[in-house]
Amino acid sequence: MNKPTGADVRFLMGNEAIGRGIIESGCTLAAAYPGTPSSEVLESLVRWKRELNHPIYLEWSINEKVAFEIAYGASLSGARSVAIMKMVGLNVASDPFLSAAYLGVRGGLVVVVADDPGPHSSQTEQDSRFFGWFAKVPVLDPGTPAEAREMVMQAFELSEKYEVPVLLRPCLRVCHARQNVAITTPRAPADVGPFKKDWTRWAAIPRFRLVLHRQLNEKLAKMREEEPAARPVLICGDSRGATAVVTSGSVSSHVRDVVTANGALAGVDVYKVDLPFPAHAEALQQIADRYDRTLVVEETYPVLELQLRDRRKVLGRLSGTVPEQGELVPELVEDIILNVVGADRPARDAPTIKARRPSLCPGCPHRPAFYAIRKVFDRAIYSGDIGCYTLGINMGAVDTCLCMGSSVGMAGGLARGGSSERDTRVVATIGDSTFYHAGVPALINAVHTRTPMVLVIMDNNITAMTGGQPTPASDQLADGSPAVPIDMERLVRGTGVESLEVVDPYDHESMRGALEKARRHSFDEAGGVSVVIARRPCVRMRNVTMPSTRFQVDENCDLCMSCIRDLECPAFRYEKAEKKIEIDADICAGCGFCVQVCPSQAIKATGA
Amino acid sequence: MVELILCGRGGQGIVFLTKLIGEIATSKGLRVITSETHGMAVRGGSINSHVRIGPFYSPLVRPGQAGFLVSLESAETPNNAHYLTPDGILVENSPLPAEPRVFRCDAAGLARDLGRTQLENVVLLAFATMVGGFPISVEELRSRLAGDPREQVRTMNLRAMDAGVKAAKSSAAC
Repeated sequence: MNKPTGADVRFLMGNEAIGRGIIESGCTLAAAYPGTPSSEVLESLVRWKRELNHPIYLEWSINEKVAFEIAYGASLSGARSVAIMKMVGLNVASDPFLSAAYLGVRGGLVVVVADDPGPHSSQTEQDSRFFGWFAKVPVLDPGTPAEAREMVMQAFELSEKYEVPVLLRPCLRVCHARQNVAITTPRAPADVGPFKKDWTRWAAIPRFRLVLHRQLNEKLAKMREEEPAARPVLICGDSRGATAVVTSGSVSSHVRDVVTANGALAGVDVYKVDLPFPAHAEALQQIADRYDRTLVVEETYPVLELQLRDRRKVLGRLSGTVPEQGELVPELVEDIILNVVGADRPARDAPTIKARRPSLCPGCPHRPAFYAIRKVFDRAIYSGDIGCYTLGINMGAVDTCLCMGSSVGMAGGLARGGSSERDTRVVATIGDSTFYHAGVPALINAVHTRTPMVLVIMDNNITAMTGGQPTPASDQLADGSPAVPIDMERLVRGTGVESLEVVDPYDHESMRGALEKARRHSFDEAGGVSVVIARRPCVRMRNVTMPSTRFQVDENCDLCMSCIRDLECPAFRYEKAEKKIEIDADICAGCGFCVQVCPSQAIKATGA
Repeated sequence: MVELILCGRGGQGIVFLTKLIGEIATSKGLRVITSETHGMAVRGGSINSHVRIGPFYSPLVRPGQAGFLVSLESAETPNNAHYLTPDGILVENSPLPAEPRVFRCDAAGLARDLGRTQLENVVLLAFATMVGGFPISVEELRSRLAGDPREQVRTMNLRAMDAGVKAAKSSAAC
């Protein structure tokens, strides 16, 4: 157990502890695409690199597939490497991920995939342990930030010992937990020697893939049999109780704490599995056979539960004892275990109000862009995408949100599926980072197929939602070293787009003009794709300073509510008692866009 | 052993306070584990942080277990009051008067007087350190804030802290 004493203890976020584990393991390369809850791993590596003057190469890759391939290439060159992403990122990287399991690795290769049970900030509640099983890739599942750091080192060792990629699966409650974590001096970068040509392995044709598949199965069988991490370890109780709980990962910490704290659960024995795939199924089965009842508590799929062959005395998701969706928070875990042992559940209070919904920030350049889109295209289908600008739903300007880059791909179908002309007008919105990530092939497809659509690229020069990581348009890499900035206009022109406008969304007349021109081009004249780049930096970027001007609503206001309903600016508030609109000067960012669009021209600068 | 909830709106600096408390506890050799909100919700939505000081593994506080709720936004208090123990203490950013087990400080107003509304988080934390039983002391907070190498940030944080302490001293409740 991590005892927080001495000088080498830091208070670290789980993602920072993972970054520390990567540096301490002698890793040579880390590639990532940002995504909550994984983004701070590479960000912390930038800080560790600077603090330690460490030679590790770091990059924010264009997407997770490329990040994985870069890490895999480094492994074949003999270096320890890591790819970092959120769980839906692994979907994007799945093609090389599954293939790499067959080919195996040389230098240790760890894939950090952060899961989001809840989901709090994601499209799905998928379980990356299950994905590991599907891909036949071993999975380590940390319970706390301190354990996550240790498991990174364990993952590199397993990866090199068995020559397979190893997946480290922290859940959000590990990633965004902070804990005092003991750290040590990093070891020197490891190297297993230069790339060795062997096409039967590294470029294997199907005949050799069969051989590699057998070898992979043998590696997993050996790991299951020989690795202590594959076996359940008793973490609570004296192994003499009538009820066992088998658990893994971040939810194991909730289980441990509630069983320790609640006297009614004193006789419950808790077993934790660090390597839930490939778990030692026989050792798990012995627990299930020995106890009166065994409850499996894991997130989010029944991975350990499915590895038990005889489940007649087993309770879990498959028996309906554990809910099939939603995060297993400690109070829910406590209720489930109390129910299993037949004890009463405590009465609990719940929040008395609904949580406040998120909004685009005051001053956010996406707001005026959406506002103009709604004015120019009042009846279009708004094909949206993944990022801050998904919050355009609050303004009625986002109708769909499927996955990264889907705004452009789906537009091709939305435009062709409607029966009347009105239904087929599609306006897609996508952020700059998401455009680079997965929008570019879809745009080429749309241009090539003459899809009648308007694409608005909301270019705020940053990956904003995840905390401000650079995009390929940046002239710097993650650690500040020089990069070649990708020119978005040239990229868009290069796909064959004929109608392209670049505008500042704060300038409402120009933005409207650009959208009207795009509308004529795509729907009235030539047909096909038009692109409008609405460019203005994110207000959260450090180098952006906002005006100190503040605004007030004067007597010309006729309470049309457009500022609250259409503009949806958080600084506006309707004071019911006084029947007037107020602008909160503490929340207002001073952008002044409301002055341009107030129908009654009732908004004036304070003191003007 | 003490558990806390910090709550407010995204953008009010709750993560900063969580880190401050955790770093101070760490420097005292205490075991501490916390959980915080990131992602979509921080765009002005409801957010909270959980802080657990003691031999815990889970970073989440169960309802009915928190000794303190520090609320930077009174409208968010009802979202989080269920975390408090029956005799738990609410420390709230509000100009309203105190009540039994409810300590209030107009941190937003005091921060505005200092010229930076964003300092309301430090004002309220400093005020909270003056409430009996709070797990970190005002001296510990002062020495932490005084260690910030950025001169302007350090000066402003210390001024915000003094404002919170002064408010606590002039409040009969503390």
